[in-house]
Amino acid sequence: MTAGSLRMQIEKIAEEAGAEQVGIAFHDYETHQSWSCRGEDWFHAASTIKVPVLLGVYGAIHAGLLHEESRVHVRNRFFSAVDGSRFRVEASRDANSDVQRAIGRTMKVEELAHHMIATSSNLATNLLLDVIGLEVMQRLLAPLHLDGVELRRGVEDELAWQAGINNRVTANGLLQALRLIVEERAFSPACCRRMLDILHQQQFRNGIPAGLPEGARVAHKTGEISTAAHDAGIVFLPDREPYVLAVLTQWPPEAGRRHEAIAHISQRVFEHLRGAEEELA
Amino acid sequence: MPETGPPPGTLPLPIVDGLRLDRPYREALWPGGMLRDAEGRGRRLPRFFYEIDSWQTALDTPLSPHFMLWEMIGVDVREAELLRTFPRYVPCAVTLMAAALEPFRAAAGTYVHIAVNGGYRSPAHRLSRLATPHCWATAVNVYRIGDDWLDTQAAIERYNRIACETMSGVRARPYGSAPGCVDDQLHLDLGFVTLVPHGAASEDGEPASEPP
Repeated sequence: MTAGSLRMQIEKIAEEAGAEQVGIAFHDYETHQSWSCRGEDWFHAASTIKVPVLLGVYGAIHAGLLHEESRVHVRNRFFSAVDGSRFRVEASRDANSDVQRAIGRTMKVEELAHHMIATSSNLATNLLLDVIGLEVMQRLLAPLHLDGVELRRGVEDELAWQAGINNRVTANGLLQALRLIVEERAFSPACCRRMLDILHQQQFRNGIPAGLPEGARVAHKTGEISTAAHDAGIVFLPDREPYVLAVLTQWPPEAGRRHEAIAHISQRVFEHLRGAEEELA
Repeated sequence: MPETGPPPGTLPLPIVDGLRLDRPYREALWPGGMLRDAEGRGRRLPRFFYEIDSWQTALDTPLSPHFMLWEMIGVDVREAELLRTFPRYVPCAVTLMAAALEPFRAAAGTYVHIAVNGGYRSPAHRLSRLATPHCWATAVNVYRIGDDWLDTQAAIERYNRIACETMSGVRARPYGSAPGCVDDQLHLDLGFVTLVPHGAASEDGEPASEPP
């Protein structure tokens, strides 16, 4: 399968599913191929912003601002990026109840990082952003030169959303973030291995992993809001080097079949890379 | 170093003159120093502290029939690193707060859960930019009473009312989102009270003049 036919197949999947916009990027360490389709297009990050936040957390740990074992007060009260007014993470919209149950007590930084990624806890994400500080986190991320990532606020900041202040990513931006982790170039190899461990704990498996054969392991982060569904991760398959894949999709609010479309795209990319691998062999 | 053994009526813990602690502790606790409140009024910090040698001691030490020492010293990473390890120090007035909470607890009829960062916080704590009774150990933030989560106007106003009826001289922050109000916990305090227990060292000596 050529890059051109891969593009056509992906466009067909997107069209048939009703997606408004699709951005994809991958880098394969086995065949050394890098490829993107609308890789520079900006999307609302949804929960994929938690990958840069994870990088920021480990940047703070590396800088000595925190330890993985540092305890953080679990409190559901945050300040809007617009005017500093208070807002809360709605318990009903947070997939993780462990963090909600800990309100008033503490959780370790590593536990919050786990919940932020594995079950996409919005409360855990905002707590980590709050304890480190948005500006500090932005400064920690700056040396990584993540051109396709804009971290501007916590999650569920409705006022900021209404004001158009959003976290945004491109497929190339997320690809770059994940490459830093798997290549152990973000802060320290030890930090990168910890981040990779956490990404491996992801519990939502209906995107990229659903398009892969049995035996595949994926360290990844999904993201979904009413108009977007994303998945970005590092794919480990037996007897070959891993590849990194970011699939960003935008949808009309009523559209279904989003995860199915991402899984199909994941499958096509896998088949494309398997074909390239066979050609090389 | 501890000044004396505990006389009757005080906690069975060493009472320490903060001015005689090692410099890193003095910088973090700032004994006898002056903090400014939101209106710019100076408030003198406590000088005498109970020394807590371990978490087990905090778990084992009752302050009053229903409140233990550990409940008043829970902090997170925002507290100065030195003050998150043992030995730890808590102003002697912590016993007053616990005693004041007893009739409130009796009226509530169930457990009163004090939040992390909701008991004693040092002046070096990141939430202690201004003078707050938390730095005197005479304030508590309560996030749950029994099974009631205090994150609604009804719950906060109900328990504020009980506090005002049962705790003499208490201040309960009103419900709301404006500065000085609360919307996800109860805040009860006795003001900037210091306590010098019998057996504490002489109060001679100059407190530090600069903030930590």
